[in-house]
Amino acid sequence: MSSGAVTANDNTLSDPRHRAPLVAGKQDYASITETVCRIAERDKTPRAWYVAFAVSASLTGMLFLLIGYLFITGVGVWGNNSPVFWGWPIVNFVFWVGIGHAGTLISAILFLFRQQWRTSINRFAEAMTIFAVCCAGIFPGIHIGRIWCVYWLAPYPNQMEMWPNFRSPLLWDVFAVSTYATVSALFWYLGMIPDLATLRDRATNPWRRLAYGTFALGWRGSARQWHRYERAYLLLAALATPLVLSVHSVVSFDFAVSQVPGWHTTIFPPYFVAGAIFSGFAMVVTLMVPARAFFGLKELVTLRHLENMNKIILATSCIVGYAYATEFFIAWYSGSQYELFAFLNRALGPYKWAYWTMVFCNVVVPHLFWFKKCRTTPWIMMIVAILVNVGMWFERFVIIVTSLSRDFLPSSWGAFVPTPIDVAMFVGSFGLFFTLFLLFCRYLPMVAMAEVKAAVSHGIEGHGH
Amino acid sequence: MHEIASLDRSRRTDSLGELAPRAAKTAWIVGGAGLALAVLSAVFFDDGWRHFNYSYLVNYAFYLSISLGALSFVALQHATRAGWSVTFRRLNEILAANMPLMAILFIPLALSLFLPAAAPYVWANPDLAEHSPLVQHKQPFLNVPFFLLRSAIYLGLWIWMARFFFTRSIRQDVSGDPELTVQMERFSGPIILLFALTTTFASFDWLMSVEPEWFSSIYGVYYYGGATVGGLAAAILAAMAAQRAGYAAQSITTEHYHDMGKLLFAFVVFWGYIAFSQYMLIWYANIPEETTWYLDRQSSAWLPASIALLLGHLFIPFLGMISREVKRRKVLLGFWCVWLLAFHWLDMFYLVMPSFASDRFPLGLIDLGLLVGLGGLYVGGLLRTAANVALVPTKDPRLPEALAFENL
Amino acid sequence: MADHASHNTPDSSETRVAAVLGRFDTAAGLKAAAEKVRDEGYRKWDSHSPFPVHGIERAMGIRPTILPLLVFGAGLTGAIVAMFLQWWTNAVDYPFLISGKPFFSVPANIPVAFELIILFSALTAFGGALILNQLPQFHHPVFASEAFRRATSDGFFISIEAGDPKFDERKTAAFLESIGAAVELCRVPAAKPAIPKAIPWAITFVAALALLPPLGVAWYRASVKREPRIHPLHDMAFQPKYKAQSENDRFADRRAMRPPVAGTIAQGGLMLDTALFQGKDSEGNYVADLPVPVEESVMLRGRERFNIYCAPCHGYSGGLPEGAAGDGDPRSWDGMVSIRASQRALTGDGTWTPPRALHSDYVQDQPDGKLFETITAGVNNQGVQSMPGYAKQISVEDRWAIILYLRAIGRSRNAAADDVPETQRTADTGGNR
Repeated sequence: MSSGAVTANDNTLSDPRHRAPLVAGKQDYASITETVCRIAERDKTPRAWYVAFAVSASLTGMLFLLIGYLFITGVGVWGNNSPVFWGWPIVNFVFWVGIGHAGTLISAILFLFRQQWRTSINRFAEAMTIFAVCCAGIFPGIHIGRIWCVYWLAPYPNQMEMWPNFRSPLLWDVFAVSTYATVSALFWYLGMIPDLATLRDRATNPWRRLAYGTFALGWRGSARQWHRYERAYLLLAALATPLVLSVHSVVSFDFAVSQVPGWHTTIFPPYFVAGAIFSGFAMVVTLMVPARAFFGLKELVTLRHLENMNKIILATSCIVGYAYATEFFIAWYSGSQYELFAFLNRALGPYKWAYWTMVFCNVVVPHLFWFKKCRTTPWIMMIVAILVNVGMWFERFVIIVTSLSRDFLPSSWGAFVPTPIDVAMFVGSFGLFFTLFLLFCRYLPMVAMAEVKAAVSHGIEGHGH
Repeated sequence: MHEIASLDRSRRTDSLGELAPRAAKTAWIVGGAGLALAVLSAVFFDDGWRHFNYSYLVNYAFYLSISLGALSFVALQHATRAGWSVTFRRLNEILAANMPLMAILFIPLALSLFLPAAAPYVWANPDLAEHSPLVQHKQPFLNVPFFLLRSAIYLGLWIWMARFFFTRSIRQDVSGDPELTVQMERFSGPIILLFALTTTFASFDWLMSVEPEWFSSIYGVYYYGGATVGGLAAAILAAMAAQRAGYAAQSITTEHYHDMGKLLFAFVVFWGYIAFSQYMLIWYANIPEETTWYLDRQSSAWLPASIALLLGHLFIPFLGMISREVKRRKVLLGFWCVWLLAFHWLDMFYLVMPSFASDRFPLGLIDLGLLVGLGGLYVGGLLRTAANVALVPTKDPRLPEALAFENL
Repeated sequence: MADHASHNTPDSSETRVAAVLGRFDTAAGLKAAAEKVRDEGYRKWDSHSPFPVHGIERAMGIRPTILPLLVFGAGLTGAIVAMFLQWWTNAVDYPFLISGKPFFSVPANIPVAFELIILFSALTAFGGALILNQLPQFHHPVFASEAFRRATSDGFFISIEAGDPKFDERKTAAFLESIGAAVELCRVPAAKPAIPKAIPWAITFVAALALLPPLGVAWYRASVKREPRIHPLHDMAFQPKYKAQSENDRFADRRAMRPPVAGTIAQGGLMLDTALFQGKDSEGNYVADLPVPVEESVMLRGRERFNIYCAPCHGYSGGLPEGAAGDGDPRSWDGMVSIRASQRALTGDGTWTPPRALHSDYVQDQPDGKLFETITAGVNNQGVQSMPGYAKQISVEDRWAIILYLRAIGRSRNAAADDVPETQRTADTGGNR
């Protein structure tokens, strides 16, 4: 790079002779600190934030009231029935846990691949991961019916002299999702320690100083600390990468180890992982487009960042489309009448509207991203990303409901109709997600300042060393 | 700036020139000898021609996978606008450009379809198909004319893809035109999509249909995972061989080997992940029509091979390559590349040969002869392609970035 | 807490210099300076920057951390713990069969093993980094400096602590100035700051509070309660339904269980075929022939049922020979119940009515329908139930099958030499009966 500081404003142009700048505008270390910190530090919270928070907090309250109602009354409040034993709760679980994959992916895999553009968005995406995993964890938890016995899932010595069944994919899920939640939270927090120290050192109010200072753990940014910190971060990234793959693979095992037509197919693990990344990136784009405008982060989270994410959405959309096609082909090729029926039933049966919604949103719409214009226009990408989220919810709905409602024996076929409680709980989970998210945006550093500084230090200081 | 210094340093990236024809001739002679050994063995052994055909498929799939792995590597590097890998890209382009040779080598497989009794494709044998309703069900897809048509499409597309990257990259060596890079980047996305579809269906057609009643939707991904391991290992070994002969000595550094080693390590794990996913789902669901495939491979004759694959293709290289130092030492990295190529070959053998003989491990002179025979032809083809091109894309706009790169 | 202000309050009477701090403007400047400090031979010193500076470890001479080794060890531990846990719980301590899988199923154990490897490794990576970095550490001399706050934003610092053997307030400061730093001295109170008294009290109080729930649980577990347990959640304990044997005021007889409507016949309970179900024709006479087909499969079925239900008393052979009955020698009996019961009857321990020999004329002369009635209802002689009825245990068809087998026993036990086909006669069968 020949210029002393980063100046270009449109960094979406691609000239292979130069790497596009990571951030836009003329930035130095202090300006990066200022841009990120002033959001958490401002004295007056904007009114829009309060409005959004009031809405999402009330939805969260509704969610927890409904969960209380569920406890007292039982799982009959949902539309789950025989034969559709897994209704919306499991659809919602897989939907949220899928969304929860982009954060760790951006942080870990892109870190290992040395994709430095990740530094502007990784904190944001990791936070989204953790909140999505919170939403995801609720649904299988309450789906067990007697939630006060949920601790029976843990292998602890007890007076019943029983142990959980480790040959069950549902128990693998318990281990996978809880490990994922733990490791994501550690990864997020470890990455945030230096930035919390920044907020601590800038705080003027003693209470903020106490709060940020406690969580910054007395970080001094010393080279010896950085050395171990960086090694730990690299190790966590290297651990989190296979973890991301394993978690959604285990979720796919919930379905694929069974013999239910439409569930038992060997491509499920990688297909679920790709779908999870697909939906996760779509959710990051959905949140990032308004957030960067609202919080004045357009220079740190540039159009190029969004364009890169859109490219990943396009790539994963192709993988998901590939998996749909392979499944369909193998269903015919296998010569198994049940398998073929399951897929024809998806496309032509009573839930065909769901199937074709899924195909339209997941396989057709993202192809708009072949055009640069669509990749770099915020409102277009926002619409595509929302449609992808809709499509991915329907994917899980199609997989669960069509396969369960019509399996081997026509006399035991059934149908699934959600109850208002189903719908309200799903909406309530969005409330929880956005509540946590708004708190994060208000009080924590949304962009990994230390990492952005390290990534652009060459540009800021010039090349003369 | 880096550019001047780096071009200066990479002056020894000349083409092989004089050396190539001589080496190619040697390779062809060795290859011819191997083929002769295989043919003689086929004539003298019982069931020899059937063994020959199955074994030919194994070795064809092995060498093809190296070219496919290299092709996907090139396309992926363009799609991600990677800078670090530029010094390794030309070697992969050369490996991928061997695709026309692979098209020629496909002819014996195509001919074998017309000798139903000895072909690895039992569905092509009307007498056998008559007794299997499942095979009859698949006749609209698995029939000789359509199979040959599809094969021609796969090979044609691959030749086009490989040539697309190869010719533009060569042209850039002269002109240094950055537009060529932009063009390759623009096409890399659709090419990857086409590559995924063709590779999947090619693996279904050429390998999975050897056991025509069996099916697995992950099969294409499995073959791709193994192919990338093979391609990366072959590219690393090619770089080492070139450097031993005194070429590209300055441009390919420890840092590049380290990164290629990391990628190879990642794909070893990826292969393990895919292989485990397939095994786990079939083992757990325990449906007879699927388990037959693994039952053959867990029979007393094949169980050692299965375990060898699990250890040698996953656990041992995983532990062996996890350390940073291993990936930075040429001797150690080279050892693991040879190791992985050997186990990748075993993987191909394991995919195909239980259909030839499930009650014994049929490794013999024919297999050795074909491994050496096709290998000789393959290496000869590589050397011919490499004869007049530089082994590193000397005027790639991102070469300076690759040369300046250091691992943390 | 890194509360900078409290360290520099004017009324802290005595202070000492705990560290010398030098500030640089750029990361490159910091790296160059770090090399000089290293070469000068300082030991207790560090450099501070808002982000990790590439290559500073080499400039400072920091040895690589052992963290990767710790993490590798933790991963190995995770694998061993997971495999042992799954083997012990599912194959040894509480084995139960599910979906036909072996108790110890390695493929099914891989996911949990993998997750535990990751979990143990990640916790070690995180905890190890904190412990090796000696975090949390809220007090440090450098926090005494107001300017040091920029170390987390845009400042680059080198700190040399007073504990260093080469440390000299003025010389060190001069040295840092000479390599281009803006120097500041970090003064801290000479005496260690006292911990406010409230803190130990608060900790004790919280600890005492934390003890209460486990104490409560322990008390409840150890004591006996007469009251029914509390039902915070209904847990299906109270359901809107009537249970068996309970009352219901809606009905005159107040029974919650309702008898069937008069004349109700259960499915398959009509049993119009009297020959089959009662062994009698429509006039009430015993049928003479079997109402089921006489086939080998029925014969085999009859033998199997006979050996299960009849042989315990009557013996596999159908009883002892004619005339041997009642001789009182239990060893001559066939059928394990008869042997044991007659042994005890001999010693005066209860009474025993020996069963009929089934090949006897008494039994064999009865019509099939009568035998059917006997198996169905048992034998009752003047109020003594000497044989129980088997209607509950043996299905109708099986009772007929047993009768067929009884006839076979009768034929074989009463066979004459002439009954043996000529071609198969031997010296034994050629003699008298």
